[in-house]
Amino acid sequence: MVENDAILYTIEGIAAGILVITTAYLIISTTTIYTPGDTHISDMQMEQLGYDVLAVMDIPRTDVENSPLETYVQADNTTGFREDFLRLATANAQNWDEDIKFNAVIYYRKPDGTIDYYPFSDSGNMTGNLTGSEHLVKVTRRVFVTDTTNISPPLQVRNQSVLLEVLMWRD
Amino acid sequence: MARLMNEDGQWIILMGFIISIMIFFLAIIVNQSILVGQTTAESVLDFPKSDIQDLRSEVFESADSPEISDIREDIKALSLSRKYAVVNISNTTNSLTIDYNNGVTSYHETIQL
Repeated sequence: MVENDAILYTIEGIAAGILVITTAYLIISTTTIYTPGDTHISDMQMEQLGYDVLAVMDIPRTDVENSPLETYVQADNTTGFREDFLRLATANAQNWDEDIKFNAVIYYRKPDGTIDYYPFSDSGNMTGNLTGSEHLVKVTRRVFVTDTTNISPPLQVRNQSVLLEVLMWRD
Repeated sequence: MARLMNEDGQWIILMGFIISIMIFFLAIIVNQSILVGQTTAESVLDFPKSDIQDLRSEVFESADSPEISDIREDIKALSLSRKYAVVNISNTTNSLTIDYNNGVTSYHETIQL
């Protein structure tokens, strides 16, 4: 008399094995997908922080005067911009030990229609301290300039809109 | 053939089978939810919210300035070369129109003055 129970046990064993392997594969692959989404989110937070800082700096303190940002650009006040930007960017309730670095450049339109730029401000002490692998984000703000007399490269003498570009990263 | 075994073992295997199918589906759901989170974060990053807010505030701030056509040329040229976006600002006597398009997002606004 032939016993065929063993065949059933073998088939059940194979089916169970496939199930376990497939489930384990799915679970392991979910945990590896998570990492790229995470870096995007921290970039996004940094970018939003930068836009917010520039927006806050571009609010006039009273109705009649220029915003602090416009004042810094028109006076070519590198130090004032640096202090204000870093104070706002690192202002948080927990007083975390975080160090934000930036480099700010201003783009403007020349009379012939081409775009040129001049370096405006940076977080200071950068020569020799850059690794070349800074993980940076770019934030921008348009600045309305009404007085070009103190700006070092010759901008056209008229009211104009320039673009302030800030590259910022955590050190 | 004489039944030498009782059938309890079959029930245990069946329950194990059902539970592994449940874990299988739960794993698929977890997998999908992470993909959804990533796509949402990416589309939020891609949407030029700050650019459009900045453009509007600059247009309104310069609206009654002299040399308005030069200022609008500045905004258009800087948008095209630095922000990769086509911008057009035009006005009639009682309305102001802003058009913005960066290839992914387009934005149009008309304000009655």
